[in-house]
Amino acid sequence: MRPRQIPRVVMGLRHALLLLVSAGVACSSGDRQPADDRDGSERAGGAAAVEIVDANGRTLRLDEPAARILSLVPSATLTLRTLGAGDRLVGRTDYDTEPWASELPSVGGGLEPNLEAVVTLQPDLVVRFAGSQDRRTPQRLDDLGIPHLAVRPDGIGDVLETIRMLGLATGRTAEADSLVSAIRSDLQDLEARVAAFPRKSVAYVLGGTPPWVAGPGTYIDELLTLAGGDNVFADLEALYAPVSPEEVRSRRIDVVLASGAEAFDTSLAPDARVEVVDDRLEIPGPDLADSARRLAELLHGPLPSGPLPADP
Amino acid sequence: MRLRAEGVVVRYPGSSAPALDDVSMDVQSGSLYAVLGPNGSGKSSLMRALLGLRRIEGRVLIDERPVGAWDRRELARAVGAVTQSESISFPLTTRELVAMGRYPYLGPLEREGEADRSAIERALDACDLVDLAARDVTTLSGGEFQRARLARALAQEPRALVLDEPTASLDVGHEMTILELLRSSADSGMTVLLITHGLDMASRFADRMLLLSHGKVAAEGTPAEVVREETLRAVYGWPLAVHHDPATGAPRVTPLGSR
Amino acid sequence: MNRWMLGAGLLLATVVSVLLGVRLGSVPLTTPQVLEALKGGGDPVIRDIVVQLRLPRVLLGVLVGGGLAIAGATFQALLRNPLAEPYILGISGGASVGAVLVLAFGWVAAGSWALPLAAFAGALVAIVLVFRVATATGRAMDVRVLLLAGVVVAAFFSACIAFILSISPARTIQSAVLWIMGSLAGATWRGVFLTAVYTTPAVLLLVGLARPLNLLAIGEETAHHLGADVEKVKRTSLVVAALITASGVAVAGVIGFVGLIVPHAVRLLVGSDHRALLPLSFLAGAAFLTLADLAARLALSPTEIPIGVITAFIGVPFFLVLLRRSMTTP
Repeated sequence: MRPRQIPRVVMGLRHALLLLVSAGVACSSGDRQPADDRDGSERAGGAAAVEIVDANGRTLRLDEPAARILSLVPSATLTLRTLGAGDRLVGRTDYDTEPWASELPSVGGGLEPNLEAVVTLQPDLVVRFAGSQDRRTPQRLDDLGIPHLAVRPDGIGDVLETIRMLGLATGRTAEADSLVSAIRSDLQDLEARVAAFPRKSVAYVLGGTPPWVAGPGTYIDELLTLAGGDNVFADLEALYAPVSPEEVRSRRIDVVLASGAEAFDTSLAPDARVEVVDDRLEIPGPDLADSARRLAELLHGPLPSGPLPADP
Repeated sequence: MRLRAEGVVVRYPGSSAPALDDVSMDVQSGSLYAVLGPNGSGKSSLMRALLGLRRIEGRVLIDERPVGAWDRRELARAVGAVTQSESISFPLTTRELVAMGRYPYLGPLEREGEADRSAIERALDACDLVDLAARDVTTLSGGEFQRARLARALAQEPRALVLDEPTASLDVGHEMTILELLRSSADSGMTVLLITHGLDMASRFADRMLLLSHGKVAAEGTPAEVVREETLRAVYGWPLAVHHDPATGAPRVTPLGSR
Repeated sequence: MNRWMLGAGLLLATVVSVLLGVRLGSVPLTTPQVLEALKGGGDPVIRDIVVQLRLPRVLLGVLVGGGLAIAGATFQALLRNPLAEPYILGISGGASVGAVLVLAFGWVAAGSWALPLAAFAGALVAIVLVFRVATATGRAMDVRVLLLAGVVVAAFFSACIAFILSISPARTIQSAVLWIMGSLAGATWRGVFLTAVYTTPAVLLLVGLARPLNLLAIGEETAHHLGADVEKVKRTSLVVAALITASGVAVAGVIGFVGLIVPHAVRLLVGSDHRALLPLSFLAGAAFLTLADLAARLALSPTEIPIGVITAFIGVPFFLVLLRRSMTTP
């Protein structure tokens, strides 16, 4: 049942009731931009109408938290589950391969999903990719009157923003804020522990001949920096690009992280340690702090545990 | 060099009637022999059979040897063949086209020698192509191109020439040039076999003729013997009148109106 | 233009291209460093770059570029079609299917030979398929049927690739597209050796068939009447040219334009006599591809542009200029 179909009177009564019941708990997280703060009057934890400005700058208005959610973005699916809204998912894409998602019906790919399948699931919110690759889907969703929220899954900042947006959309802003805080503090903790190690020169190779590498500004690059690594290809003028093999050979590389189908030609970096990584590491998601930690351990070995030295 | 066909039968898969049925002929050296007949009478099949391109029943003897016994290159040195048409897709000078006639004399990477060059020059000269030697063949007119193909055959220094409708699309001037050239070759001792449509021209230039109809021999002999009204009427299915042409001394055919 | 002059010029161009390709590259090196590396001394990193990366790559460019060009000239003669080029028998399609399958199923992790082997196998499948169709009548091979069969087989393989990619993750699609676009970056000494071992006798054989190819380019019946063994020449040159192409695609991907344009450019300069056209096309293709690879490595360094892009960008305007020149001179 779509929010707009519920008679206004009934909505108003429900809102009043929930306001009375709720305890007005959550605090706003520090990174909320003033421009997005139109929803500031409605408190998290309550079921008041929210307005969310999505990654495309579009404003989505939800009169009540989404209860039947279809996420076309795998990292958003993970986020929803982490926020405790996993039971509200009504479908998935072919790229949601986690065991807990397998029972949900799939709508095909995240871009250009099967619209009939989408409609059948009767979602009251569709989370989709921001960007212009798939113009058709948002238009059809508009035609069908299905609300949709565009998220950008490209970097750490995007992930945190997505968590915040989904928190608003599901009415679980408290959980969203605490998740964001947890990620931040985990990352700070990681940075401190990693400081004990010398920085490693890292090349992240996605395979191919000539080798495709990750350049500056990519999510992997962000994670690497947090994990105590320096991307040797920080001078690349693209996010991902194929580079001459002799570039790989000529640069001082401590660790090669090789993802992708093709095995990395180790003769290109004979002095480096080559670690094979799962290419899922490249997909930003709510588990990013965990990914960063795993990267750090790959680069440096086991991290020191126990309490951190106090800040000077 | 004598060209002989004895009881040649050519069958194509898929058709019940043979394309050539028991065709025999005898072409002496130093003579011009014309093969005529309506479309589909088997003229081109005869040429293919003579040159060993088709499996036949019966015998074809070239210089008293069965055509199958000839080595391919040996045959190319003895018989120059000019097919109905060919098309050139790439740039080629006239001289290069004529020079291909020397292929049967040269090894894989052998350069052309004195003998080859003079054969080519003689062929170009005989066909009046010396001025056009450096031109790209695609820029030649129809008549010039046919002369070039004939020159190529002459460059093979053959003892026999077999030509399939060499003057088909040529104007009267070019046609006469080629036919006179063939006539003088025959007079010099060459065996010339000419497949053609032109009854008048054939009557005028040929020593002997073969008239085919539905793959069978309808008439064989001198032009005077073959070019007869009843024979032609039966073969071509059209009323034709035959006169004696005072200018050439050969029979002349005039188609009458249908009635 | 005199064919010997052109031959000397092209030989010089090939040698110069090889030297430039070794001297220059994405990593800036000085001439003394390069010479030191070639002698076996100096910094091991520089040695690796010059001897293990640049030199085999440049030599592979010579072999593949020359092979594609001579194969293209051969196909043009055999099919009597100026638009013929080495991939016309669906060879590129077959090779691409082999490569894409390996990438999609992740078999390529098994070893660096999986990809070229699969590509070569795919190319062979295409060749066999097309040959079977063209000789199905049991009699002489009809080159028009061969051409049509090649076009159809190529289209079929394109559909296969599209299907496989449509159900593949983005990563596989990226890898597949990059492989198909062609690159000499994977050159190894072993690869160069194998390619040379095959290409050298193949090229010599084709040049030996230059005379009958001259005749075949005019017409098969004419060739036969002039004494050529048409069927044998057709089959031999087709198989040899197809295999040269297959080995090129297997090791370097689908590099376009070389096989189509280089023979035409040479033809415009020295005519259609294959005794000159074939060897000169080989040299011209060798120089062209080596220089194109250098451009691919240098233009947006450290990024490498796919070499098929360079061959198209350079090849097409160059050819247009030559074409105009030939149309204006009498």
